[in-house]
Amino acid sequence: MKQLIELSVNGETYELAVEPQATLLEVLRNDLGLTGTKEACGTGECGSCTVLIDGRPVLSCLTLALDCTGQDIVTIEGLAEGERMSPVQQAFQDCGAIQCGFCTPGMVLSATALLEENSRPTEEEIRKALEGHLCRCTGYNKIIEAVNKAAGQMAARQK
Amino acid sequence: MGDRLDYIGQRIPRKDGPAKATGRAEYTADIRLPGMLVGRILRSPVPHARILNIDVSKAIGLEGVKAIVTAKDAPGIKHGFVETPRYPPDQYPLATDKVRFIGEEIAAGAATDPYTAQEALELIQVEYEPLPAVFDPEEAMRPGAPEIHPTHPKVREPYGNIGGKTETEWGDVEAGFSESHYVRQDRFESHLRTHGYLEPQVTLASFEPGGKLNVWTSSQGPFLKRAKLARTLGLSFSAVRVQKAYVGGAFGGKIDLFSHEFCAALLSMKTGRPVRIETSREEIFSAYRHGQPLIVEIKTGVKRDGTLVAQEVRVINNCGGYRGSGVVIIFLAWGFIMLPYRLPNLKYEGYAVYTNNPLRAPQRGHGAPQVRFAVESQLDIIAEELGIDPVEIRLRNAREPGEQLPNGDNVHNCGLKECLEKAAEHTSFRKRYGQKVSAPSPNTRVRRGIGMGVSSYFGGSLIYPNSSSVVVKMNDDGTVTMLTGALDIGQGAETILCQIVAEELKVPVEEIQVIAADTETTPVDIGVWISGNAYVSGNATREAATRVRRKLLEIAAEKMEAYTGDLALENKSIYVKGSPGKRLTYGELVAASIQRRHGDPIIGEGHWRTMRDEPYHPSLASTKGRWSENYAFDVQVAEVEVDTETGKARLVRAVTAHDCGFPINPLLVEGQIDGQVSMALGHAFLEEVIMEEGRTVTPNWLEYRMPTIHNVAVSEHIDVITEHYEKDRPYRTKEVGEGYVSAILAAIANAIYDAVGVRLYSTPFTPEKILKGLGKIR
Ligand code: FES
Ligand code: FES
Repeated sequence: MKQLIELSVNGETYELAVEPQATLLEVLRNDLGLTGTKEACGTGECGSCTVLIDGRPVLSCLTLALDCTGQDIVTIEGLAEGERMSPVQQAFQDCGAIQCGFCTPGMVLSATALLEENSRPTEEEIRKALEGHLCRCTGYNKIIEAVNKAAGQMAARQK
Repeated sequence: MGDRLDYIGQRIPRKDGPAKATGRAEYTADIRLPGMLVGRILRSPVPHARILNIDVSKAIGLEGVKAIVTAKDAPGIKHGFVETPRYPPDQYPLATDKVRFIGEEIAAGAATDPYTAQEALELIQVEYEPLPAVFDPEEAMRPGAPEIHPTHPKVREPYGNIGGKTETEWGDVEAGFSESHYVRQDRFESHLRTHGYLEPQVTLASFEPGGKLNVWTSSQGPFLKRAKLARTLGLSFSAVRVQKAYVGGAFGGKIDLFSHEFCAALLSMKTGRPVRIETSREEIFSAYRHGQPLIVEIKTGVKRDGTLVAQEVRVINNCGGYRGSGVVIIFLAWGFIMLPYRLPNLKYEGYAVYTNNPLRAPQRGHGAPQVRFAVESQLDIIAEELGIDPVEIRLRNAREPGEQLPNGDNVHNCGLKECLEKAAEHTSFRKRYGQKVSAPSPNTRVRRGIGMGVSSYFGGSLIYPNSSSVVVKMNDDGTVTMLTGALDIGQGAETILCQIVAEELKVPVEEIQVIAADTETTPVDIGVWISGNAYVSGNATREAATRVRRKLLEIAAEKMEAYTGDLALENKSIYVKGSPGKRLTYGELVAASIQRRHGDPIIGEGHWRTMRDEPYHPSLASTKGRWSENYAFDVQVAEVEVDTETGKARLVRAVTAHDCGFPINPLLVEGQIDGQVSMALGHAFLEEVIMEEGRTVTPNWLEYRMPTIHNVAVSEHIDVITEHYEKDRPYRTKEVGEGYVSAILAAIANAIYDAVGVRLYSTPFTPEKILKGLGKIR
């Protein structure tokens, strides 16, 4: 039996009827049409379905939509301000950290969460924050470079 | 001529980056159509069996099920990765009389939701008569092994299950061996790996009442898919439209026709509704096409100074239940042996052997990593025996610019020697090799080693659709639209093609709109699976843009009463050199052309085919005929650390010195190299698809370990530029997407030997093998 829930996604509130077993990933993609959140495995192994819940990265393929009421969900669609990409998005673009782009939304969100908490992460901290994300294209070199670059820019902004 | 280059050779960030970074990029699974059904595939649970009966009646009766299809609903047309008279198609999209591997497609169902579709499959009853199965290629070759398919009629040896054979020879190997100073024979083996593309295999098919089949599918080029879908469905090419969607990685694993594509189409035709089939990761690991492990037996004779005299090579490929690309890789393996070094005498034979494993696909490098691992490892062994350093023995045998290859191809501006010198110098290779140094860490049980590998890769060949065409059109406001059939699968195809247009027309990349990879609206393209994009599609783009430039110049000359030679292009306008005030914008020129040239809004077309004078692709059987026009060369140096207690090795630093002609976009080239180094690192240390009796026991990313951000090597790049981009001249740039996954694998093996003296004859380079080599375990 479907249940009625309220979800707050990217600052907007949606009222939805969802199956109790529906994952947040399914609801975002199928009910809300927010297909920027990707599914590469559906079983918690790749990180491509990552969204932010109350600022923390969460695997939406392992999260029930029912459990997300009253929480603040941010998906990749919620980062840019109009045409302007967020510093992390821009750094990924400038550094060549994007190839096929399938891992990008999850990577960008986890990197964003990291930099919100810790604007000057060490390389080890970056690795720790992104260790749950697979990328088959880039070898991660330019992703690390991009997170470093975004950190520098965000720090400069805060000054 | 020395034109200033504003766009070519620049580190321009990828054009589709913002769409991908913001989640706007639409991949196949993101497309939603009204009334869309979910399709699922029923697969064989047994490796080899006769199908006695399939009963779908219960499944059809289930509420929510809209259609079930089996071979009975299909036109019964076979297909194959290769479709030639020697190698006719050998596979039905849905199994008819027999199944030949676990996971083979038997039926498909479409329902209103995934749960119902799954339940429907469980209600389908299939009766099998099990047949004896065989999984190891050498066992399958033995007389008396279970017959999966009859041995190819043209194979003379009394082997079983031979799907194909490549055989070639030049010089006289026996004479070569007898005049050699040193001869040795080794056997190298590689293991089963997979592509690991993040985006699953997925297809959306929508059959319109008028008889048009619209398809979106995660692929490496829409034209091959259209051809194979049309043929197996019994439709005309014009009845099938394959359209662009973003592709989340492919690496060779999404080229050929797949049964889920066929089934989505058939189900949509049957129901009249859109049908999407998306595969689970477990299905991909268990039933889809992985790469191809090779057994490489190699006998080599050399002179006292290390000059190669003769090589005799035998390659065995386990190609699974159907040919797939198994008969291509045994051809390519020959090529990857003969490319980088001069080889006066060679005898080669390669066998593609049917087994009851899932069939196989090309995987980035398509045989080169396996072959170069063998050749380069053995070369280091030989060098040591002769007391020559690894750089010298490679320099002594490396091909020189302008050399003719035994198949009639030419290496043209081959930069191999320069790559060798630069890689050696950059890494102080000669000084550091053979030092057996401890790692600079307090933990002295860790040893550090350095190793080198060489590889070469072709850039485009003649396989359907054989050529690329591009259309470039001016818009009224002076911006540009490009139509190309090339598909960007993450490598940056759209970006580099835009850079070429931008360069020819001096229009910023952002102001060029790309319409791509749609069989209906874009011209044909060779496909992004044969390493010919930068060269073939690139030159087609250059030609199309050049035509537009000429038209712009001519109309400008007419309007400004000047010679075209006195005009220059700049920022979407043309001016008279020396008097920059005399200038017309592209918008004005388009208007003038429409007025003065019978309405011509300025459109240019360009075409390119590699090896224009060759009628066909080379013979897969005999290697005769030309193969490619351009060969990239690379030298890679690996620095590894090996823990002598645990046997664990890791790649610390990878240096790639490469001759790709010239990098159209160095940022993207680096991305390709880093990605390949990472893939090779996975090949060397982490990844293995383990199958037991045809069943995958590593069906997920926990067990199939791809490199994570904790497995990153420092990756350095050295460009050896051997080609230039000039206006009005075709260029001969080479490939960067596949060739650099190979030499580094060999370099890692050689570096492990340098570190701890353990010579590895098979991949992966596990702690167990290293500890055995160290005599620490048995
Ligand atoms: S899709 Fe959620 S972790 Fe892979
Ligand atoms: S960019 Fe393709 S998986 Fe990361």
